[in-house]
Amino acid sequence: MGIPAAFRWLSNKYPKIVSPVVEELPLTMEDGTIIPVDATRPNPNGEEFDNLYLDMNGIVHPCSHPEDKPAPEDEEEMMIEIFKYTERVVNMVRPRKLLMIAVDGVAPRAKMNQQRSRRFRAAQEAKEKEEDKEKLLVMLKQQNGGVLKAESTEAVIKKAFDSNSITPGTPFMDILAASLRYWCAYKLNTDPAWAKMKVIISDATVPGEGEHKIMNFVRSQRNSPEHDPNTRHVIYGLDADLIMLGLATHEPHFRVLREDVFFQDSKARMCKLCGQKGHDASSCRGETKEKDGEHDEKDKPQFLKPFIWLHVSIFREYLAVELNVPGLPFKFDLERAIDDWVFMCFFVGNDFLPHLPALEIREGGIDTLIGIWKDNLPQMGGYVTKDGHVDLERAQFILAGLAKQEDAIFRKRKEVDERREAGFKRRKLQQERENGRNNYRPSDRPAVPALPAGITHDMVVNRKATDDSSVANKSAASVLRAQIQGLKAETANPSDSSEPSGEQTSPASALGKRKAELLEEDNASTPASASDTEAAEEEAGDSVRLWEEGYQDRYYQQKFHVDPSDIEFRHKVARAYVEGLAWVLMYYFQGCPSWEWFYPYHYAPFAADFVDLGKMTINFEKGRISRPFEQLMSVLPAASRHAIPEIYHELMTKEDSEIIDFYPEDFEIDLNGKKMAWQGIALLPFIDMPRLLDAMEPKTKLLSADDARRNSPGKDVLLLSDGHPTLYDHITVQFYSKKAGQSSFELDPKESDGLSGRVEKIENYLPHGSLAYPLERSAFPDVDYDRSLSVHYHMPASSHTHKSMLLRGVELSKPALDRSDIELLKRGGQNSGRGGGYRGGSFRGNGR
Amino acid sequence: MTYRFPTQSNLYRGESEPVKRPKEFACFSYDEQHQYHIGDRSMKWYYTPALGADLSQGYEDFIKHDDSIDEHLDSLLTTIVHHEKETKKPIDANIVTWRGMMTKIMAVPFDNRDGFEMNATLYRGAIFIEENNEYKKASKEAQQNWRSAIPQDVMQYWGYKFETLSTIPRPWGETSRDYIENRDSHVTNNKEQYCSVVRTGIGKSIICIGGEVDAIWDSKPNPTYVELKTSANPTSGRDEENFHRKLMKWWIQSFLLGVPKIIVGFRSPDGILTKVEEIKTMTIPHMVKSMGKAHWDGDVCINFAGAFLEWLRQTITTEGVWRIRSAPKSNFIEVFQVEQV
Ligand SMILES: [Mg+2]
Repeated sequence: MGIPAAFRWLSNKYPKIVSPVVEELPLTMEDGTIIPVDATRPNPNGEEFDNLYLDMNGIVHPCSHPEDKPAPEDEEEMMIEIFKYTERVVNMVRPRKLLMIAVDGVAPRAKMNQQRSRRFRAAQEAKEKEEDKEKLLVMLKQQNGGVLKAESTEAVIKKAFDSNSITPGTPFMDILAASLRYWCAYKLNTDPAWAKMKVIISDATVPGEGEHKIMNFVRSQRNSPEHDPNTRHVIYGLDADLIMLGLATHEPHFRVLREDVFFQDSKARMCKLCGQKGHDASSCRGETKEKDGEHDEKDKPQFLKPFIWLHVSIFREYLAVELNVPGLPFKFDLERAIDDWVFMCFFVGNDFLPHLPALEIREGGIDTLIGIWKDNLPQMGGYVTKDGHVDLERAQFILAGLAKQEDAIFRKRKEVDERREAGFKRRKLQQERENGRNNYRPSDRPAVPALPAGITHDMVVNRKATDDSSVANKSAASVLRAQIQGLKAETANPSDSSEPSGEQTSPASALGKRKAELLEEDNASTPASASDTEAAEEEAGDSVRLWEEGYQDRYYQQKFHVDPSDIEFRHKVARAYVEGLAWVLMYYFQGCPSWEWFYPYHYAPFAADFVDLGKMTINFEKGRISRPFEQLMSVLPAASRHAIPEIYHELMTKEDSEIIDFYPEDFEIDLNGKKMAWQGIALLPFIDMPRLLDAMEPKTKLLSADDARRNSPGKDVLLLSDGHPTLYDHITVQFYSKKAGQSSFELDPKESDGLSGRVEKIENYLPHGSLAYPLERSAFPDVDYDRSLSVHYHMPASSHTHKSMLLRGVELSKPALDRSDIELLKRGGQNSGRGGGYRGGSFRGNGR
Repeated sequence: MTYRFPTQSNLYRGESEPVKRPKEFACFSYDEQHQYHIGDRSMKWYYTPALGADLSQGYEDFIKHDDSIDEHLDSLLTTIVHHEKETKKPIDANIVTWRGMMTKIMAVPFDNRDGFEMNATLYRGAIFIEENNEYKKASKEAQQNWRSAIPQDVMQYWGYKFETLSTIPRPWGETSRDYIENRDSHVTNNKEQYCSVVRTGIGKSIICIGGEVDAIWDSKPNPTYVELKTSANPTSGRDEENFHRKLMKWWIQSFLLGVPKIIVGFRSPDGILTKVEEIKTMTIPHMVKSMGKAHWDGDVCINFAGAFLEWLRQTITTEGVWRIRSAPKSNFIEVFQVEQV
């Protein structure tokens, strides 16, 4: 969601939404044989699940450029890692009816701006990292008297995988699609737990973000009268907003499954320079690892990060308490209230708009809004949203309520900041005195502060919080640089090297950064070191000074370069922002309302700038869906051009390219009052689509057939095995028997175990053939007789608005909250929202 | 010549033979003006009603079907004829009737307070049974005599109102939020009906029954139908006995058409909807037994109906009109010919 810290905030405030996953693992016998998990057996979590949805990018990223283990050698190894990880997740959930694998396809324009920013930064960091490696090589050389062993350089020089390849239309995504199709077919052939399961693969050729393709699917099924209202859904993914999406389906039996982000394996240390385990960058000697016997260490059983559940059903219970407003002049409807809550979360952060300056999740921004909402609900005469549509007049109430608090929020933020800063400096001095030296070492940092009183995430999951998160304060490159500094120091003073060094998992990629954002909130505002702070503050040059009068004038002047007297401009920005809120709401609740709309500014307006919203009308045009190469050209920097057909390269590199301005080598990052580079705003020029398309058009004609194929939109694929006899037979008879007729038909949900939609014959595909492993090294076998069947799948289209309602026949789980949970929540809510805008506990929770 | 068939429940004890699930082979609708149409145009989907609704609301605007007019078996026969034309095959039933007649027959071992009278005709090898309208009118007038705080008509309206509150004209996915949320202000009209015509077997007899279906849960083919009922919140022991009796009626009605779900709207004494519960038809006989002091037994109902229909087929062997009658509180059903061809 781009709500940094959303998970931590949620699981602190609503502790019971989290519980650990009970996982059965394959058994390794004494003789080395491995007994795989038998997923046909009852789920060890004590409950069975029907459908599992994989937001696949949450698997592809960590498997292709892991943070806690050596990077895979090549793409084939990445695919194997992806298979392994996927298998592990599937075995945890054991879906009995359906597995949907959704890879991000081309995104709406509104999302591309964020992707562009992430990818440009990833490339910039990669560049810095390469430079650092070179420095290391030079140093190693000096150390060894000018000579460098070949194998020393091998490890250091190996070029890192460019995570920017994980974008639709790249050769990497093509390999991924083929690999996933193979693997699912292989599993359908070999794993009895898959026999009755239907698999839908929506690869990167199918437009839409993975999680939103999943949401479209869930909504499409809900609209079918054959949908079982008590379907148990699980979605796996890394984004914090999956729980919001879960709420937005109004399917109460919904869980989010993810790795426990707050769990850090202290043993898993890995060098960021050579990618090997057992030491960190500061003690890297650039030596190739010793081979451990015949096999690599990678074959050893690895420590597996535990997983957690996030229960939407329990979250709904909390929200029922939290959002309840007694004495309303209209009927309280929890489903509508939940939608309003999700809507308000968008104000605090989403992937499509910068968050409002006054709202920070760590400062209890959501509570502030809930307070305003509850105060205004009776007068508003109804909910702010309805089935994905915003009532703008009522939205004005909320923003006006926030505007009243805005000045106070900024002043308070400054006060708290200063207090924390003072405390930090005091402690720092103290430490320096104690240590008698000025060497910064991570272990000197204070441990993660205590969380607010009450049950915490960690108590629930029963684990200890660790303090690695603090590293996330620094960008990957700066961590490296710091480590190289450390290396210099250590080479000068070798006796030091035996000391335990602070192992660090630094965000090495855009994804790592996402993760860092999740970890950050405990001490994000606590700079890693005093010198960093000072530097950052200087750099930030926060001359807007939100805490001082006249900040609006300064903000618009400095950020938008607009004259302070131009009040109409502010309203224009606010209107664009409201359009954005309406867009996001639609996107979450109905599906993408416009593929072309985007928020055209780098900064958000102030709450006070929203006026007369009731007079606005908002309409979205569906617009044109980008082709994969258009998206690649929109989001990738020139450094990642290897992922784009060569024919386009000169558009990104040649000085006289008519769109060279889209691909700046250097770009400014505005910290915008924040302290960490990655928290800042990358001031990249927005892509002008008509110009881009004009420039690309003559080249597109010249694409090779294979490239042209990668550039065209694809369809979802449904796979099933002959262990699902009724459906399997029906499809084969329809498509492949002598009386085969039409090439597509509507599924009968009573025959397909509830699945609605249309299946279509895949051209040139014949069942009962053989299944070939699509990669080189035959890590998986070919299957002579393929018992699986593949068809295209089309979700049932509905011309009707999806309604935020529970379905008839739904049976809610028995309550998980008891009276004390409810009391605790109510007490926590008392000082929320109204007044200063800070929730009492959340800052004190930092223990500073 | 009058033939008699005993109805005492103890004669029919014992586990009943498994009954095949009734299968719908045709359907028809009455529109809002009670005009007949083949097909399911008046079929409604069930969607949860909002609690707290006043079931009396809109009574003044109730569009009420005049059920004093004898409609005979007309619509059922039209539908069967239509089906036979389409399939070019006569139906194979031994008995053809409305669900209401079969319900009275099946319930008689345990409930014969009001008695009943029906007319039967043998035609093409099948016995067609319909209500004797004269008798129905007379007994209805007798019932009007007792008075309660809330007029009978209003209480009857509650049941129809509950249907209005609980149904939508298209599946949920195709119905607007506005429609769903404003159901309480919709005019209730019981002229509009959807009827299912099924083939089923009881004992050795194949029967064809037509009956109104309140709502569908999912979709055709192979629909899950829903019967909608209202009931006072059970409070005293007397209420409970009444409720048991009601359950028997509900069970027989739903059993006969193969309706697997009954949705009960519980109401306060003054007609406020307080609770909605789903009951699986199949579980009712067992449920009643486990509640202790059972007042009826589903096996007996089935055994009795099987035996009676078999006997009836042996008895009515000539064409003309026959009377099937059971006097109130009597222990037998009488069958005699009233009209010869
Ligand atoms: Mg995604």
